[in-house]
Amino acid sequence: MAAIAHPDRNFKYWLLSPAIFLLLLIGLFPLIFSLVVSFMRVTMLETDTSFAGLMNFAQLFHDARLWQSLAHTVLIIVIALPIELLLGLAMAYLFLDPMPGRQVLVSLLVLPTIISPIVAGATWRLLFDNRYGPINQIIGWFAGHPVPALWTINPELVYPAIIFCEIWQWTPFMFLILLAALSNVDRSLTEAAEIDGARFWRSFRYIVLPAIWPVMSIAILIRGLDLFRIFDIIWALTAGGPGTMTETISIYTYIQGFQQFESSYTAAIAFLVIALLTVIVTWCIRRMGLAK
Amino acid sequence: MLNRRDFGKISLAAGLSATMGTPAWAASAADTAVKAAQKYKGLTITVVWEAGLQSLDPTHFSGPKWKELTGMDVKVVEVATAEMFTKIMQDYKSGAAAYDALNVIPAWMADLAQAGALEVLDPYVAKYGYAPELQTIAPTFRDNWMKVGDKIYGFPDDGDVFIMYYRRDIFGDPAVQKAFKDKTGKDLAVPKTWADFDVVGAGLTDILKDKGIYGASFFRQPPYAMYMFEERFRNEGGKFFDAGTMKATINSRVGVKVFTDMRNENKFMPPGVEQFGFVENLAAFLQGQSAMTISWPPYGRWAEGYGTDQEALNWVPKTKIAGKVGYALPPGGHPELAAGFALSISSTSKNKDAAYLFIQWLNSEDVSRQRVQLPYTLRDPFRNSHYTDPGYLALWPNAKDYLAALKQASQTGLLDLSLLQTDKYEEVMRQAISKLWAGDDPKTILDAAAAQWDDITQKIGVDKQKAVYAGWAAKSGAYPKL
Repeated sequence: MAAIAHPDRNFKYWLLSPAIFLLLLIGLFPLIFSLVVSFMRVTMLETDTSFAGLMNFAQLFHDARLWQSLAHTVLIIVIALPIELLLGLAMAYLFLDPMPGRQVLVSLLVLPTIISPIVAGATWRLLFDNRYGPINQIIGWFAGHPVPALWTINPELVYPAIIFCEIWQWTPFMFLILLAALSNVDRSLTEAAEIDGARFWRSFRYIVLPAIWPVMSIAILIRGLDLFRIFDIIWALTAGGPGTMTETISIYTYIQGFQQFESSYTAAIAFLVIALLTVIVTWCIRRMGLAK
Repeated sequence: MLNRRDFGKISLAAGLSATMGTPAWAASAADTAVKAAQKYKGLTITVVWEAGLQSLDPTHFSGPKWKELTGMDVKVVEVATAEMFTKIMQDYKSGAAAYDALNVIPAWMADLAQAGALEVLDPYVAKYGYAPELQTIAPTFRDNWMKVGDKIYGFPDDGDVFIMYYRRDIFGDPAVQKAFKDKTGKDLAVPKTWADFDVVGAGLTDILKDKGIYGASFFRQPPYAMYMFEERFRNEGGKFFDAGTMKATINSRVGVKVFTDMRNENKFMPPGVEQFGFVENLAAFLQGQSAMTISWPPYGRWAEGYGTDQEALNWVPKTKIAGKVGYALPPGGHPELAAGFALSISSTSKNKDAAYLFIQWLNSEDVSRQRVQLPYTLRDPFRNSHYTDPGYLALWPNAKDYLAALKQASQTGLLDLSLLQTDKYEEVMRQAISKLWAGDDPKTILDAAAAQWDDITQKIGVDKQKAVYAGWAAKSGAYPKL
């Protein structure tokens, strides 16, 4: 019997290597270069590439505006994410059972997610306009008098405006993911629980939630990360104002890097964000059981 | 003794010298540029221009004309004003050399020149004999917008200045005058001080509000209101810094008063004026909703309907006040030369000579006169000849008054603050203004802003910034002579 020729085991690595090389080039190289720049003193007026020690990292801890921007970011996540989750879940339940026109309605509901966030923000800015926007006008109809709300200037209204726009655009994402997850729950289990007298919440908590948790947790993680790097919609609506009241970490980093040209300090901020996100994501993955 | 042959030789030599040795300035700067640019036929130069209406100049007029005359193509890169500084610096820092000619807001010139992003133009000016025509640029722009130190980095190319526009029909209405006199005890007149403005604005709002007319409207969005603060602060006697210590003094009594007054004035302006930008304020004024406003020169042209029949200007609200607009200096008498543009060359350009010839041609007497009269662009008069040009004077019935106001404003105008890293200081002011509209205490806002300015100065280097500030403050248009 002739000896069986073994396939070249390394051939698969050769096939993968161009893609890996490209990923490393566009991913790893900038990362390492940024790290190097963060130890220099590159600003708009100076290109001092000598080693500056931990100067930029030390500055991070004295930069009140940086920590405020992080706080603003966390605030948006803490409010918007649960609302998107609950609304998305409610919508998914609404569309779980077959109904006439279901596919069309689902397609329409998903439309906001395909709009570019900067376009969405610019459009909402027009809708919120005090003089010409329809929102104030409609509110005025219900109130019975003109309502000159300054949605993008009044400190009490800017966050509701931003969060509303964010929820409007990204709840459909949650809805789609959770609809798919709910569709795959074994109906016989929920029906059996119903026959045994279990109410909706009990059934949801002990049957449905464990079943959809792996998918739901991924959706929460993805949306959480998206909210952490929120930029477009806020930039279009308020540009981080009034003052720096709605400035998120992404907006602050952009201003430092691309308006102030504090290249080294911006690199240091980027690594702070990477460090924070690494810790948070690792914790989430463990806590959510995603690593199992 | 000189014989006939010698005389003939001398005469011939003199004649040849007179023609062949003719100095470059004898031909116009535009002709000189066109002639010299013939050798670059087929070349494409890239020019950064403000996006929107401004770009219609090179895309519809000057670019095609230059190609026709020289065979050179002009590629226009349109950039939003807020992004222009960033784009220019990015191009320079990256070494991409994507741009040849630039539009630069003069307040940025110190930063860009210090960073090395701009080409020094003196050698080109000498080579192509442009100095005489540079001298005929209106003095305020010429003396303050061209140089950093003693080197030329840009040619002033847009005479931006704030003008007060007011409704002649309202101010001249006997019934309104009587009502105003009865209400305030004063004669109704176009205000010359901000104290007068407050009385006139509030009075007119009380009298005319039922007709949907307010005493005044301004653009209040922070990027615009920042210029208005800079102007008013100096007209009221304020100084940005203590020249000796470089400590910021924007939080002085004057600064707090200006901030407080600005917010109080919103009460007699249209509701939501805090959100007014250039277009919202324009709409309010053109539709007859305010009796006074302050803005750049295009408001004056569009209020008279000039150019608004052009497709490019179809977004401009149709004016309801044509023939009813008067022009004056803003209260205080020293208007801000807000923003403006100068033509420069990128230091990394691979086509510096060609790009220089294009900007010399653009900026020349002959061509600039045509460009500032284009109905669809935003280039405003900036040469002495523009203010008295017969063609411009004939554009609408009281264009004469309009140009006279622009000329007077250019003579008394105040420069934008220009330091190293000006944008950092301006960003602080923009945020301060947005906090002002949000309702924060003016003193608290300005104290914080002053502290941030001091922080910025410390990081740049006090002595370094002090020298730059001293150079700026020494300019005739830095502070008004009160």
